[in-house]
Amino acid sequence: MSKRILLCDDEIHILRAAEFKFKRAGYEVVLANDGEEGWAAIQRQLPDIVVTDCQMPRLTGLGLAERIKNDAATCHLPVVMLTGKGFELSSEEIRDRYGIRALVGKPFSPRELFQQVEAMLTGRELVCAADNAASRWL
Amino acid sequence: MLPPFISKYQLTAAGMAFGACAIGVIGVLEPDFIPHSLLVRLTLFAAGLALAIGSQLLLLMPHWSNAGLGRKYMEALSHFDPALSPPESIADSLPELPPDHPLADGFARLRECFAILVERLAAAEHVRAGAEVRARRTASERDQLKEILTGLSDPVIAVDQHGEVILANDSAQNLLGVKSEETEHPALESLNRCQELINLLTETRRRKAITNRHGEVSLADDDGQQSWFKISCRALAGQAEAAGDRTSNHGAVAVLTDISGLKAIQKRNAEFVSAVSHEMKTPLASIKAYVELLADGDAEDEATQEEFFGIINGQADRLQRLIENLLNLARIEAGVVQVNKTPLSLNPLLQEACNVLQPAAEQKHIQLAVELSPLYLGLLADRDTLLQAAINLVSNALKYTHSGGTVTLRSRLRDQEVVFEVQDSGVGLSAEDCQKVFEKFYRVKKDKDMAAGTGLGLPLVKHIVEDIHRGRIEVESELGKGSTFRIVVPGIAQISS
Repeated sequence: MSKRILLCDDEIHILRAAEFKFKRAGYEVVLANDGEEGWAAIQRQLPDIVVTDCQMPRLTGLGLAERIKNDAATCHLPVVMLTGKGFELSSEEIRDRYGIRALVGKPFSPRELFQQVEAMLTGRELVCAADNAASRWL
Repeated sequence: MLPPFISKYQLTAAGMAFGACAIGVIGVLEPDFIPHSLLVRLTLFAAGLALAIGSQLLLLMPHWSNAGLGRKYMEALSHFDPALSPPESIADSLPELPPDHPLADGFARLRECFAILVERLAAAEHVRAGAEVRARRTASERDQLKEILTGLSDPVIAVDQHGEVILANDSAQNLLGVKSEETEHPALESLNRCQELINLLTETRRRKAITNRHGEVSLADDDGQQSWFKISCRALAGQAEAAGDRTSNHGAVAVLTDISGLKAIQKRNAEFVSAVSHEMKTPLASIKAYVELLADGDAEDEATQEEFFGIINGQADRLQRLIENLLNLARIEAGVVQVNKTPLSLNPLLQEACNVLQPAAEQKHIQLAVELSPLYLGLLADRDTLLQAAINLVSNALKYTHSGGTVTLRSRLRDQEVVFEVQDSGVGLSAEDCQKVFEKFYRVKKDKDMAAGTGLGLPLVKHIVEDIHRGRIEVESELGKGSTFRIVVPGIAQISS
């Protein structure tokens, strides 16, 4: 059974690149343009993992992550944040308040994002590639 | 040595009188010595007596005269009241005594004493008047300083070596809720609205500590308005020294400068830099992601490869537009844009803008309609920037209009003003969007098939219209029905074309 991933970003090209990578690896990909759309998609069908941008209209990535964490039905969902921002917050705040498991800095490598998602879903430790120092596990 | 008041003439006269008297006496007493006639003898006697008395009178006259002068002197003195008469008037009113008067020397010394006294009194009066002027000037300067301090918009607060607030101008009283009057000096600790200020003043007052300290605090005034202040504290070492106290703490003065404006600018700059970096990272992220997909051989079929190359190209263009817009905006804001205003006709300029964007409209299957006024719309404008504004507006309309929609560019004359507007049948703006659409990097939610904007196009148009052409820009919009952006600039001629 294929794994389902929710990709949430208001930049369609970013979505397209990530969608292409995950679809090629056999994932079932659900796309959303902002946090609200993402939350609606989660309500419709629970994904295995959520990858979201931070800065989005209507509901930001942080807002979506907080909503996921505070809902009993979704609090187990791993959330990866894909952003150029977010590092202004402390690691503890990102992890404890928003329940975000990993940050991937923009510009990002679809390959590394895929590896991180895979590692997260299979519970394996992943050594972050040195060329994307902005990415980190929390 | 003769007494000074007896002259030789007087002595001679006295001698003669005495001699005559003696002859007369002798004649009366010895009839044989002179003729026997009793009448003669009596006459001689009378003459001798008269001479004697006369010479005596002559002798005494100066005494009488001097005695009279002395009386006059004393009388003159008795008329003066030391409390009312100034010494110089007493000295001037004293009668002159003849040089041979027995009191002349004494009185001359007395006059000298009076003269010295008068001089010293004048000097003392000069000193007193000077001191009075200085005191008045000091009081006036103190009042002036007080007025300046009171009127200062920057709060100023001073504490003495005992930690009591000895000065708080109006601003400080309003901000810190403390009252300091001449008779009442509240303790420094009563400034409980700002612990930071108490700490700074306390530290600055410490002997052997740094005499200047600075800090920044956020404070709310009586109305709850939050402001940022820079605090500059300085020790008042002179206070304790003046009091002869070499062991206690110093006094200190703190000046609070409102830096809310500076903080707001710093915040705006930080937000701007953050927004610019975000806007640059986004197309860069796409470019890097698709390059990697292509490099990794993920895109196997030609169509996908072409799609990815197209995206990379589009994102590179977006990055270029962003940089150009940023530079243009920065140039206009800094006032370094070369503005060359000339009288020109608006319609050809709008037509040119349409020609530039016609291919983009066709590519997106949007009908780009042009409804230009038949009138000559003359205006004084900088051609390049106004063309840029028109292109930005039309390009923006194309960006936010779905395929199959319409974008119309119109021009007309309204009163003395030249108007051109771009109307689209696009996604439209909410009331909130209409308010914020001219802010840098503010972008409305877009659909999937819409190209990403830089978030700088409309702010740039606003600058071009308002700052360079003294015009105005208006927006009317309704969500889902489209928007109309209208530019109004002063016209210079109404000539039928």
